[in-house]
Amino acid sequence: MIALHDFAVWLAHSPLNAAVTGHSWLVPEIQVVHIVAIAAVVVSAALINLRALGVIETDRPQRVVVRAWLPVILGALVVLALTGVLLIASEPGRALFRTVFWVKLGLIVAATAVTAAHGFGAPRSRLVPCLLAIASALLWMGVIFAGRWIAYADGWPGAFS
Amino acid sequence: MSLEDLATTLSTTPLAILLTDSTWLFGVIEAVHVMGLTLVLGSIALVDLHLLGLVERGRDTTALIRRLLPLTWTGFAVAAITGTTLVFANPQGYFTNFFFRGKLLLLVLAGLNVVVFHRFVQPRAGRLGHRVSGGISLALWLTIVSFGRWIGFTI
Repeated sequence: MIALHDFAVWLAHSPLNAAVTGHSWLVPEIQVVHIVAIAAVVVSAALINLRALGVIETDRPQRVVVRAWLPVILGALVVLALTGVLLIASEPGRALFRTVFWVKLGLIVAATAVTAAHGFGAPRSRLVPCLLAIASALLWMGVIFAGRWIAYADGWPGAFS
Repeated sequence: MSLEDLATTLSTTPLAILLTDSTWLFGVIEAVHVMGLTLVLGSIALVDLHLLGLVERGRDTTALIRRLLPLTWTGFAVAAITGTTLVFANPQGYFTNFFFRGKLLLLVLAGLNVVVFHRFVQPRAGRLGHRVSGGISLALWLTIVSFGRWIGFTI
């Protein structure tokens, strides 16, 4: 907690903070890039999950669909991490001290793992891919929800601001 | 009935009162709006990038569009319903907001671009026409997202 506080104070006085808060249009446009990357994750996960459910792309094997779209998710996550760091740098007292932000990070790890699990082996039953697809969709929706909720959640008592 | 009267009428509806009284309802609907809009943006951008010859090369354009259209419409329905609901929280504010008005206009233009594509561009199957349609669509949707984000900063 003290380390996180010191980090936030350091970030607030860093050149990165000065750079992203130097122009009023920069933070909204970084958010736009963040949203575009979320869209890349959403459509890629949707294609993988709908293939698993046997709804679309049924003319291609599941592993081909996963191999095509999982790298897009991973690439988009890199963009999301970079833009996320810039957004935190613009307002260090915000996300870091709200539980929902850390819940979001946990959900991202879980959602990525569950979505990637579609690519392992050829399950004998139809049930496993269906359950993975539903879990993946719910987890990614949870990520979006938690992300939006950072703006509404209360910060930890006595936290940096 | 003027736009101002409409705004006043909307702001006295039970939905408007529900939204302004609740501390969490607006945020929940906003989160669902983000889910819908990212589905629209992602699926449309995929078609646009294909039209520009950048992704899913060698795959049939008509089949790709047919495959993605249910995703686009589902996302659009979710975004339109949640977006309309959010307006009830502050009708006067939205109706007079530059970015809100601009966003609606850009949505109409994006719709026109789709009509032009299906009527004139797609039947001819020319490479240039596809690229122009894809480029216009991508530019419009990125601006729509940008305007949407700016509403939150200016209202």
